[in-house]
Amino acid sequence: MTAVADQKRKEAYFTASQSQLIWARFRKNRSAMIAGALLFVMVLLGLFAPFLSPYDPTIAGADKDYRNGAPQIPMFCDHNGCSWTPFLHGVKMELDMSTLRRNPVVDIETRRYVTLLPEGWEYRVGGLRVDLPGESFDFGWRGIAFTTHLFGIEEGGIHIFGTDSTGKDIFSRTLHAIYTSLAVGTIGVFIAFVLALIIGGISGYYGGWIDGFVQMITDAVRTIPVIPLFMALAAFIPDEWSSETRFFFISIILGLIGWPTLARRVRTHLLTERTQDYVLAAQLCGASSGHVIRRHLLPSFTSYIIVDLVISFPYMVLSETALSFIGLGLKDPVNSLGVMLQNVTKADVLLNYQWYFIPVIFFILLVLSFVFVGDGLRDAADPYSDRKS
Amino acid sequence: MTEPLVKVDSVSTHYPLGRSVFGKPTVLKAVDQVSLRIARGSFFGLVGESGSGKTTLGRAILRAAPITGGSVRYDDGEVNYDIGTLDKTALRDYRKRAQLIFQDPYAALSPRMTVRDIIAEPLEVMGLTSGREETDQRVREIAAKCRLNLEHLRRFPHAFSGGQRQRISIARALVCSPKFVVADEAVAALDVSIQADILNLLKSLQRDLDLTFLFISHDLSVVAHVCDHVAVMYHGRIMEQAPTRQLFENPQHDYTKSLLSAIPSLDPDEPLRAQVYTPSA
Amino acid sequence: MTGSLISVRDLTVCFHTDEGLVTSVDGISFDIAPGEVLGLVGESGSGKSVTAKSLMQLNADNAVYGEGSSISFTPGNETIDVLALRRPQDMKVIRGGAISMIFQEPMASFAPAITIGDQMVEQLLLHTDMTKRQARKLSIEMLDRVGIKDPDKRVDQYAFELSGGMRQRAMIAMALSTKPKLLIADEPTTALDVTIQAQVIELMKDLVAEFGMGILFITHDLGVIAQTADRVSVMYLGRILESGPVRDVIRHPAHAYTQGLINALPKLDDLDAPLTPIPGDIPSPLERPNGCVFHPRNPKLKPGSRYETEVPPMTEVAPGHFAALFPEDVPARP
Repeated sequence: MTAVADQKRKEAYFTASQSQLIWARFRKNRSAMIAGALLFVMVLLGLFAPFLSPYDPTIAGADKDYRNGAPQIPMFCDHNGCSWTPFLHGVKMELDMSTLRRNPVVDIETRRYVTLLPEGWEYRVGGLRVDLPGESFDFGWRGIAFTTHLFGIEEGGIHIFGTDSTGKDIFSRTLHAIYTSLAVGTIGVFIAFVLALIIGGISGYYGGWIDGFVQMITDAVRTIPVIPLFMALAAFIPDEWSSETRFFFISIILGLIGWPTLARRVRTHLLTERTQDYVLAAQLCGASSGHVIRRHLLPSFTSYIIVDLVISFPYMVLSETALSFIGLGLKDPVNSLGVMLQNVTKADVLLNYQWYFIPVIFFILLVLSFVFVGDGLRDAADPYSDRKS
Repeated sequence: MTEPLVKVDSVSTHYPLGRSVFGKPTVLKAVDQVSLRIARGSFFGLVGESGSGKTTLGRAILRAAPITGGSVRYDDGEVNYDIGTLDKTALRDYRKRAQLIFQDPYAALSPRMTVRDIIAEPLEVMGLTSGREETDQRVREIAAKCRLNLEHLRRFPHAFSGGQRQRISIARALVCSPKFVVADEAVAALDVSIQADILNLLKSLQRDLDLTFLFISHDLSVVAHVCDHVAVMYHGRIMEQAPTRQLFENPQHDYTKSLLSAIPSLDPDEPLRAQVYTPSA
Repeated sequence: MTGSLISVRDLTVCFHTDEGLVTSVDGISFDIAPGEVLGLVGESGSGKSVTAKSLMQLNADNAVYGEGSSISFTPGNETIDVLALRRPQDMKVIRGGAISMIFQEPMASFAPAITIGDQMVEQLLLHTDMTKRQARKLSIEMLDRVGIKDPDKRVDQYAFELSGGMRQRAMIAMALSTKPKLLIADEPTTALDVTIQAQVIELMKDLVAEFGMGILFITHDLGVIAQTADRVSVMYLGRILESGPVRDVIRHPAHAYTQGLINALPKLDDLDAPLTPIPGDIPSPLERPNGCVFHPRNPKLKPGSRYETEVPPMTEVAPGHFAALFPEDVPARP
């Protein structure tokens, strides 16, 4: 390396801001980078779920001619030769005489070609609907309707992850489930975060007896046993609530339970940051509390807070999944990862329909990538982790 | 000798340590009935071991620690303040005139601000300049005086070594043109080869900018070299104060003698004969 | 040299870090004889603590020892190749057994929830075949020996109940109770007030006379070295730049760095002497200069001197006194 380039590189390091340094350190962490890319893909999959799914993931989009069907992988070649367009063979439901079940049977002589950007089921973008208990509170906007999807097939159905017992497309369900789980997590984290910022902020900034009192309440909330609470709540949720209402309710509960850990971290950051010499230096210039908070406390915070949020996210997703799995959260017509997981508990599935497990892989990848990204960010954000004395 | 700049009259800083169920609440007497006269333009040394209350006294003079008894008066010819009873406006004005340099050059600089922003902060907070241009102008002036490279102003503190950071810290303290500066162990965290450089810088700044220093240190030999007047503190009280030469050549108090005798000499043939000081009840 | 206790040859220690391989100690050699105190002086980043930890293989896992590095330790008749030790049971012989270490921060080396006595006893049981009763008796004797009053009471106290000076004494007592052949003292007085530092220095001098072990005394304070050491090695950025008998090195420093250190030190016997700082800053270990590591800060060198490209050899400037200089630069003695 030439001296000039070397000097430039050094100057770039010297003038790099805190966030640039964090990013530079994060980039060096290979597992976190891979997890980050994976997470990005997952979020995109969730966000564009309706466009990417060839079928409506509810019962309306079920394929009655292909129930409990195996994954169909489009192919380019078969015994009749090759084609440039991927295709599937035809399928018929036939009665299996030995088990007396109607099972799909593949007809390898017919071909159905995959099509790009076909018109299909209608989905809406930007729609907003608030469905509170009680008709008068409901309001909403239907959003813009689209019917175009990424891929489809000429006739019959294409189910690359197979179908379930009612013929719903597992691929479409998985994508929508990722969206739902991420949404529950986001709402839960957001509520927990706002509460944590206010409660932890008050506690850390004022200190003294206020701090003691708030910490007492925080501890009290932390001691609430979660499972019995959820069971009670499950009993409380009226059956007539729509799946959306149920979904928001679950997110809010998760948020209300999740804040104490975050609040405690916010408080700790504030307490350590507040006693730093540079804060005293600002105060000795006559800086007001507002200036100290704006100029010193908040900036020192943001990196930590982002890290905390990313780290607490998988716990939200996990909680939602766990709740739905034990039947206390979302229920089957809704697509969430927990619901998908609940479907694999039957021995029948284990023996005959192993493709039900595909959503489980997505679930594990999602949680793992969150954990890795969170860890990577935490290592990168600690400005003193690599300072040698 | 001219009028003293800072007059400390039997100042105490007592911290409550909680109370027992019966009887009086216990207090920590961090500073106990201390009186000092810091002359204008002097380099006043305050020496003491850990826990002697020297830092608390320094901060009490700046009103960064409570004054629970006695009075601190500040008189620079323009203003005359009783520090313990300043109102908000007067305190803001006092902050311009009296500043602090910290011990730890790592903790004293916000890692999230550029050097320029760190040095400019006092000007911006106090509203001393009319605009960004004037602020930049004053930042550049003081940075040059503290021998900081002007290109370095764009950098963040992580780019600097301990000695350079201490120079940034000094520039921040001096940018609002104070008259009085408390330097609290300003060289204690630095290596020997860097320490001399910072001491010389402080000395030359004192001459050029007509400053008065309260130099707090645990290191007698450093104090002996830079200060013209020294006070020795022990357990919250002043044991002895005198002009530097007099104090080092002819120490009066037993505690001062024991401190002096405990300094290891550079000459291996002059063995350490530390006298142990036992305070009489 | 007859029968050195520990002999370090060409010790090089590097660390794998995010920024690449960082050289912390670069080819240093020294010997310590039984009953001798070697002072190792250096500023931050000089690698003096890494050197000390190498003697017990206590460096972090990302440390790499250089090819030709060797540390031979001869506590008795047998010589141990310290860097070749791999198994924990072999390490036990040196760590806390034949080699003991005392640290700058005594609080950090006592477990907070175990009494001082229990900790001393545990260590003795681990390294000797004493019974518990004997170990406790010896612990009390050692506490008494380092000047702790009421040792039979103190032995059952926790570290936080003692004052700073007491804690340092207790740590020395613990380090010496296994009768080590070599004591490594890593900045043992830096965190102490001068009056207590003076007491600890006196104590260590007495103990050397009594126990006759070798001591590696690490500090940044030349005054402390002058009072305690027999020989001194001056380290800077991982290299030894000067070493020799303490009197000779301090009175006639040959290397510009040693001279600079002494001139930068405020001295009490001459209050008017100006303080002369060494120009520049200590470079980061990532940017070690070529040639002589000190050349960018050496005011005496003219641009283009051989020190910028060549590493100067250790040249003998007086009997037993070596400096990293080319032979033609050895200063003449008055």
